[in-house]
Amino acid sequence: MKDKKHMITRRDFIRGTVAATIGTSVLGFKWPEAEAKAVRSSLVTIIRDKKAMDSSKNVDIAILNQMLEQTLIKFTGEKTTGDAWLSLVKPDDVIGLVPTPHLNPTHDEFVDVVKSSLLSAGIPKDRIRNAQGSPSKAKACTALIALPALKAHWLTGIGTVLKNYIMYSGNPSRYHKSNSAKLGEIWNLPFVKGKTRLVLVDSLYPLCDKGPQPDPRYKWAYNGLIAGIDPVAVETVCLKIITEKRNAIRGEPWPLSPPPICVEAADKVYGLGTSRMEEIKIEHSGWEQDMLL
Amino acid sequence: MSISQKTFAFLVCFFTIFVFFQGATVELYANAINLPKTVGHWVQPDSPRIIDANNIFEYMNGAGELYLGYRFNHIEVFEYTFESHENILVELYFMETSDDAFGLLSLDWGGEHVSFGGSNEKSPGPSLASSARALYGGGLLRLWSDNLYVRIMAYRETPDSKKAVYTLGRAIVANRKSSSEPELLKFLHADRDSAWRLRKDRLSFFRSYLVLNSIYYISEENILDLDLSVEAIMAPYEHITGSSDNKHVQFLLIKYQNHGSASKALSHFHAAYLPEHKEKDMADSAAKDPNYFKLEDGWLAYTLLGKYIAIVFECPDQESAKEIIQQNGSNILEKGGYHER
Repeated sequence: MKDKKHMITRRDFIRGTVAATIGTSVLGFKWPEAEAKAVRSSLVTIIRDKKAMDSSKNVDIAILNQMLEQTLIKFTGEKTTGDAWLSLVKPDDVIGLVPTPHLNPTHDEFVDVVKSSLLSAGIPKDRIRNAQGSPSKAKACTALIALPALKAHWLTGIGTVLKNYIMYSGNPSRYHKSNSAKLGEIWNLPFVKGKTRLVLVDSLYPLCDKGPQPDPRYKWAYNGLIAGIDPVAVETVCLKIITEKRNAIRGEPWPLSPPPICVEAADKVYGLGTSRMEEIKIEHSGWEQDMLL
Repeated sequence: MSISQKTFAFLVCFFTIFVFFQGATVELYANAINLPKTVGHWVQPDSPRIIDANNIFEYMNGAGELYLGYRFNHIEVFEYTFESHENILVELYFMETSDDAFGLLSLDWGGEHVSFGGSNEKSPGPSLASSARALYGGGLLRLWSDNLYVRIMAYRETPDSKKAVYTLGRAIVANRKSSSEPELLKFLHADRDSAWRLRKDRLSFFRSYLVLNSIYYISEENILDLDLSVEAIMAPYEHITGSSDNKHVQFLLIKYQNHGSASKALSHFHAAYLPEHKEKDMADSAAKDPNYFKLEDGWLAYTLLGKYIAIVFECPDQESAKEIIQQNGSNILEKGGYHER
């Protein structure tokens, strides 16, 4: 019978066997549970400032710059922003900034602040470029800084970190349907793998419902920057924030649908990082109200 | 004729043909929506941008899958501008049927109910779902008017932009006929004497498995054989217990083109979703008596009634599954659906 092929269903998600099912279809063998359970630890920082945006949602550039400085120093343990950057990238790197252009786009102000900060660290202007787009953009860079904005997505559950590189696949619509769980494979493409030096999530004004088009009722001022090197850990923290916000809005459980199975798969099938909250060390500072964690 | 004359003649012909077909495209989609040239301080552009199935992904990326999951014709996009102020975006989604436009609104019944009066408000038939035909929140107005689904969004909400958005909404629905909800809704059990209450504010109409998954995730694959020829409703019910922890169950009703298609789809669903259950169960599923299965998240029951499939998910016990599926099944039998083969 043609239906003998096991496909992912709601039941796999409830049983926690999504990764094993994807692993079988992608890798051709059952994913080794022992490897998946290896002890790991990932640091994710969250810096928030209540005044990062005014009541009209205009961004305060000076405050945003301070938030970025705090993020870099807290994350790297270096004493200055310049040293922090130079611990992540080399002056001769070609650095690609990868913002999100659609649905809930990355603030232009945020991209500008990151660029200015890199310039101040001594990175030559001609070595910093916007690398969002086709595979050639990633191929031309030796280092990538992912700059997605925090948002849910109607085809993948969450559309923040992992989905930010979808254009590098050269065929984004391939991930609209049953392959949406396999977004992690893009991060393992030869011209992408290992290049991401930092994931910096613009969480100033996130979108907690899936769209597919932005609905302002589901946006709120979180006024934060979320950062890490492990893209799955950062996505997992983003997911937690979005889930908590959704439950708060409805006053009852309001799970993302479809469930964000790409996150678990990125961990257990593609080995990009950890999706287990107990393996993620969160350090935060600044505004604490409604952290949603 | 010299080369330069030939080039000139070619360009003239090309330009003429281009202009003709551009005009023809706009003409092709000519419609009766009479939008105001100005609204408040905002000014309408000279012509709308026309989006159809060929360029929808260029316009909205993966969001296009939503509209292609319904019977979609085209979108007309107007971006009203006001000097240095934020624009107001008007998107008119022309759908093939009123059911499809209703379906788009039904994906989210949240927001402030807006009444524009007139014939658009008067449903020609009984209404089961939310009575709202227009919903507003945060600068975005969404509305259903016959075969038209509309999104009007002020990029920045102010008292003036809200007024302008409402003015545009009123102009769009003026003199448009009103349509009933999809026929399929009449089969839903909504009696007050039941222990299970239909959540009308969560009821959605759709045709695509991608849309189904965005409402209630079933599978990464299309295991219910959904396509533009089917009609489907996801209708949650909640148990009336008086406690704050009301249990929800999900009731799915699908109408296929004929009994054969429904039977085949149910077999497909059974094989993919309930693979550990034997083939005799699949044979039983072709009968009108419901089949029950204890799963990880509760009881599931399904039944096949002519060209209809009814499935209930996440029931706390078999009795609840039986009650919900039989009450809805009785409606299908009583209202004639079962005999429509």
